[in-house]
Amino acid sequence: MTGLDTLLESRQSDAARHAMALGLPTKRTEAWKYVPTRVLARTAWIEASPHVQQADTFGVSQGQFVNLPSTPGLTITQGPLTDSESAQLARLRGRHGFQAAAQALADVPWVITIEAGQQVRLDLTHFANTASSAAFGLCVIRVGANAHLHLDERFEETTDATKTLSEWTVLITLARDAQMDQVRMQTAGEGAHLFHTTHVTVDKNAQFRHFVTDFGAQLARLDLTVDLVGPHAHTQCHGLLVTGGQQYHDIHLDVNHCVGHTTSAMTYRTMVDGQGEATLNGRVYIAKDAQRSATEQSIANLLLSERSRVNPKPELEIYADDVTASHGCTVGSLNATELFYLRSRGLSAADARALLQYAFAERVIDVLGDTAIRTDIERRLLGTLKHGDLIRELQDSIDV
Amino acid sequence: MLTIQNLHARVGETPILKGINLEVKAGEVHAIMGPNGSGKSTLSSILAGRDEYEVTEGSVTYQDENLLALEPEERAWRGVFLSFQYPVEIPGVKNIYLLKAAVNAVRTHRGLPELKAGEFLRLVREKLKVMQMDEAFLHRNVNEGFSGGEKKRNEILQMQLLEPTLAILDETDSGLDVDALRIVGEGVNLLRGGDRSIILVTHYQRLLDIIKPDYVHVLADGEIKLSGDFSLAQRLEKEGYEGIRAA
Repeated sequence: MTGLDTLLESRQSDAARHAMALGLPTKRTEAWKYVPTRVLARTAWIEASPHVQQADTFGVSQGQFVNLPSTPGLTITQGPLTDSESAQLARLRGRHGFQAAAQALADVPWVITIEAGQQVRLDLTHFANTASSAAFGLCVIRVGANAHLHLDERFEETTDATKTLSEWTVLITLARDAQMDQVRMQTAGEGAHLFHTTHVTVDKNAQFRHFVTDFGAQLARLDLTVDLVGPHAHTQCHGLLVTGGQQYHDIHLDVNHCVGHTTSAMTYRTMVDGQGEATLNGRVYIAKDAQRSATEQSIANLLLSERSRVNPKPELEIYADDVTASHGCTVGSLNATELFYLRSRGLSAADARALLQYAFAERVIDVLGDTAIRTDIERRLLGTLKHGDLIRELQDSIDV
Repeated sequence: MLTIQNLHARVGETPILKGINLEVKAGEVHAIMGPNGSGKSTLSSILAGRDEYEVTEGSVTYQDENLLALEPEERAWRGVFLSFQYPVEIPGVKNIYLLKAAVNAVRTHRGLPELKAGEFLRLVREKLKVMQMDEAFLHRNVNEGFSGGEKKRNEILQMQLLEPTLAILDETDSGLDVDALRIVGEGVNLLRGGDRSIILVTHYQRLLDIIKPDYVHVLADGEIKLSGDFSLAQRLEKEGYEGIRAA
């Protein structure tokens, strides 16, 4: 019996039986080999109780949207899905038993539609689950032709260390000339186990920009797949993992250049301290006919303690012969020469380290420009860094 | 102020310094010259506290303290400053952050109140003017994308702000054109006087024409082979290290 079997059995559905037959992924499953999956199997997860109304903040609570916003150009409903969306969910179900279980346990999918030509800004909060509960949700986001969706996602910060489990699967389709900016600032409580799956389809001339920062949760895993299916489709995926204590953060990225003249750029930074562990798997696939495509990928990992661990895996799979592709991956500690330079100017070793860690993170945070969520991310970063207060004081005192 | 006695140091198994003796009194300017690979930069780095060199013998006393026992920042707090031969680029760290953090760290340890933002900006603008640097330098990342001359000027700007008691300038003249050399040299001259001592490490006389040293030492093969006054630098320029060695 896995920790989800009781929940699945209570459903009495074919989907639930199928999920149980598949079983949960284990260390032997390549894409899950670093994930501490035992928590899934060994915890007696209980059903999430009905959500408590959270003030008037739009968000996801126990797998359901709450406080739906009313914005011109935006509609939010529950179902129905198109055939291709249903087929896509079915393909995801086939990946592994956990995704199959999540879909079997989720309610009817939510559908967010942005009308063609509209610009919509949404702030969404992922509320914490009730204690020991597991919640599962499905969502489809359709961004119409020439529309633009800004989606900023934040997480409720709780001090409750009770284990919780959340799975949130999102299918996104960007029609021709559409744009989407998704920024995810993950600051969930220390008992949270988050599994998020996002699958994006980007049509002709459309652009999908994604930014993720992981600060919180005991375990946070993001599976992000971007299919570039129309010429001149473009994606940028960036992220910063700030992992410490005994946290495990994991990003599995798949970018598929399905047609020619498509472009992608990826920059990820991890900073791992304590006994933390971070996994960054960035795979780029360029199909045989996807000529004149271009991709660049940069992954840099900073190990800040002897017991910290990173598992970076950049992968390029190229079948076309006329493409531009570059990738770089580094793993290291703070640069000794830079540290010495700062210390020789009177900065304490701890202040010098904080300044260099901040600088390392800033290289990726910079892509967010001057936005409110960037300010929040920086504030959180400085709160996490030992001696981050030095940098906060410098920022506050120098009006640049 | 600074007494170096029989200093031996090595990198890995390779001995670099083989018994340096040097006495620098308060207010004196000493030039250390010597051919490539003679140990000049090693000596500078050891004085500033870089830990990649192993001191195997000898002692360095600075203001009656064992300098070698101090961490790099403790040396800075006590007034030791190294102008790097190759100033380090630090992407992501704004120059102004480094300058303000450094100034206030040093002031705090000298028992002075930290400078408030307004006071600091007034001070740094005044020093920028002296070094003929644009204010935009403050908001650029430390040394990132700076030309060779800009990097060296930035070093002297830091020196002006930190007001060290012992400044070690490691080949500050390298990579400078004539105009930049004059600006840097004059920037250093402004700090000359009182109890402040300066050690100039250089290959050439041209910097010494602007910053006139009280003493000149020739370092070769890890030892000070010859010491004299400014005329020694002039002899070196004329006869070269080989000529001096032969004599």
